Amino acid sequence: MIGRVPWWTVIVVGVLAVCWVVPVLGIVLTSIRPPADVALGWWRLDNIRFTLDAWQRVWVEYPLAESFFYTALLAALATLGTMLLTPAAAYAFHFLKFRSRRLLLIIIINAFVLPQQVVVIPLFTLWRDMKLIDNPLAVLIPYVGMSFAWSIFLVKNFLEDFPKELIEAAKIDGCGPIKTLQHVVLPNATSPIFAVGVLQFLWSWNALLLPMLYLRSMVPLPVLLTKVSGTYEMNWDLRSVAAIVTTIVPLIVFVVFQRQFAAGSQTRTGAKE
Amino acid sequence: MASVTLSNVSKSYGAFEVIDNLNLTVDDGAFTVFVGPSGCGKSTLLRMIAGLEPITKGDLVIDGRRVNDADPIERGVAMVFQNYALYPHMTVEQNIGFSLRMAGLGKPDIEARVVAAAQTLQIEPLLKRKPAQLSGGQRQRVAIGRAIVRDPEVFLFDEPLSNLDAELRVSMRVEIAKLHNKLGSTMIYVTHDQTEAMTLADKIVVMRDGKIAQSGTPDELYDNPDNLFVAGFIGSPRMNFLRAELTQGSLKLAAGPTLSAAGLPDAGEALVGLRPENFVLDGGDASLVVKVDVVENLGGTRYLYGTTGSGEALVVEVRDRAGIKAGDNVQVGINAARSMVFAASGQRVRPGH
Ligand SMILES: Nc1ncnc2c1ncn2[C@@H]1O[C@H](COP(=O)(O)OP(=O)(O)OP(=O)(O)O)[C@@H](O)[C@H]1O
Ligand SMILES: [Mg+2]
Repeated sequence: MIGRVPWWTVIVVGVLAVCWVVPVLGIVLTSIRPPADVALGWWRLDNIRFTLDAWQRVWVEYPLAESFFYTALLAALATLGTMLLTPAAAYAFHFLKFRSRRLLLIIIINAFVLPQQVVVIPLFTLWRDMKLIDNPLAVLIPYVGMSFAWSIFLVKNFLEDFPKELIEAAKIDGCGPIKTLQHVVLPNATSPIFAVGVLQFLWSWNALLLPMLYLRSMVPLPVLLTKVSGTYEMNWDLRSVAAIVTTIVPLIVFVVFQRQFAAGSQTRTGAKE
Repeated sequence: MASVTLSNVSKSYGAFEVIDNLNLTVDDGAFTVFVGPSGCGKSTLLRMIAGLEPITKGDLVIDGRRVNDADPIERGVAMVFQNYALYPHMTVEQNIGFSLRMAGLGKPDIEARVVAAAQTLQIEPLLKRKPAQLSGGQRQRVAIGRAIVRDPEVFLFDEPLSNLDAELRVSMRVEIAKLHNKLGSTMIYVTHDQTEAMTLADKIVVMRDGKIAQSGTPDELYDNPDNLFVAGFIGSPRMNFLRAELTQGSLKLAAGPTLSAAGLPDAGEALVGLRPENFVLDGGDASLVVKVDVVENLGGTRYLYGTTGSGEALVVEVRDRAGIKAGDNVQVGINAARSMVFAASGQRVRPGH
């Protein structure tokens, strides 16, 4: 019958789901049980007590709220920067002709193959000389800059299918490149721009290496999480709470915006049936 | 309104020459149609006039001003695209008013002009819709509305009707002709459909391989083509071409009869062009026998598709209902005065050359 999935897909998907759900369940349970009860494992049932003690203490013992705010701020700024600059760059690379366009594009896209670890040290010395250490720009610039590799690639790919006549019609109607971008390209490219925005948000929210090295007074959540885990105390419950707080936002963002990915790159041209 | 002049215009993509040293004047207020087979460079030429394609060599002059390097808006041209190219995220109203908005006109001004354009094209009830909610014919009207709202010097159309069905194509054709009468603007229209060209044009420019094969009024091209290509391209059904030998003022057809060709220089092997309506069932200057393969009945006229004794295909237009059936052998007379002779090179053989 059409539409019926084979029996084995159900099993495969089921196993994958369990693999994913069990650790999450573990973290949640650990966060609401006294550490002594779960010392041998969160699944142990010898002593069943629940407490919200960790959920209250963690805010006091660690600057979790402050970190949450910084993380959100940095991720939001990085996302905004990417959503503004990437479509403009992709549009320029795709529709405008300028000197060494190909070379520039290759250089930018090549950042793909460049692991973060390679740029970390040179960038550190650069920021130190420019007195940018502990300045949000020290992480925002690489967040946005390094994302160009995949984000420009993604949006430019979408523009491959963008009807060229619309660009030409705009030109005939008196638009220069900027107005064409603003009035014709952007309104019809919302789905790749949102996809890029969501990916960039997740990536910058979870960033660890750069903020750890370049920021001092601001401690984003992933960095804080390593600090919470780095102590020798029996603080499994606090770690769990911090982990939940760290992951909950990306999870919500992903669930809310997952349709942007499913929608993919379909162009609504309306130009022709 | 403005005239458009192209002098020695060439266009090449790398080493590939699309338009080859072309000279043309489009008169002020005239409806000019570029027609030619696919790939001959019609769209390229139009896009160069529009400012969408840089001109490799030569000068483009609109309204007395050289505009090779000007933006489309400075040239005062508006263009209607083959696939409409309406902005999908804007309503019809916004689509039509977009160029005015970009030009910085005020809201009330824009609205008045949009409504006036919509009235001209009878699309007022559609103003609040999005392009996706329109039929093909309605979209085409909106696309034309977008052009007329600006009151441009020159209208450019690139095969605007080719996405429409046959019936709609005919009615839109009439509308475009009316629009031209009403506005009196210079219009340049590209098509590969010779019927569209014949019915719309004040002047037809027949193109072939990036060159102008001939230009003139529809009647000039129909009655007096310069070469085999134009003769075969203009007119439907196509002109018949019969093999012949032109020597000493007489034209001996391979199919049998000999026609007088007084005043024509010797050309040896030649082709005689005869349109389907240049035959008569009785009389004529000479006659030949045609074996009828198919009779196409259009009511008022019929077309006999047949074969001559020499095995050449022939189409004959018949106006009376002579009861001719497929399989019959019919004697048809030739109206020799209307025949045209083409040399083997494809050039017309004219008297006194
Ligand atoms: N960007 C381009 N690069 C290279 N060659 C091109 C380009 N655009 C068009 N051509 C070539 O130029 C020639 C003329 O193209 P053009 O689009 O003007 O033809 P056309 O007369 O409009 O044909 P049609 O009736 O099919 O629309 C064609 O041979 C085409 O392959
Ligand atoms: Mg074309």
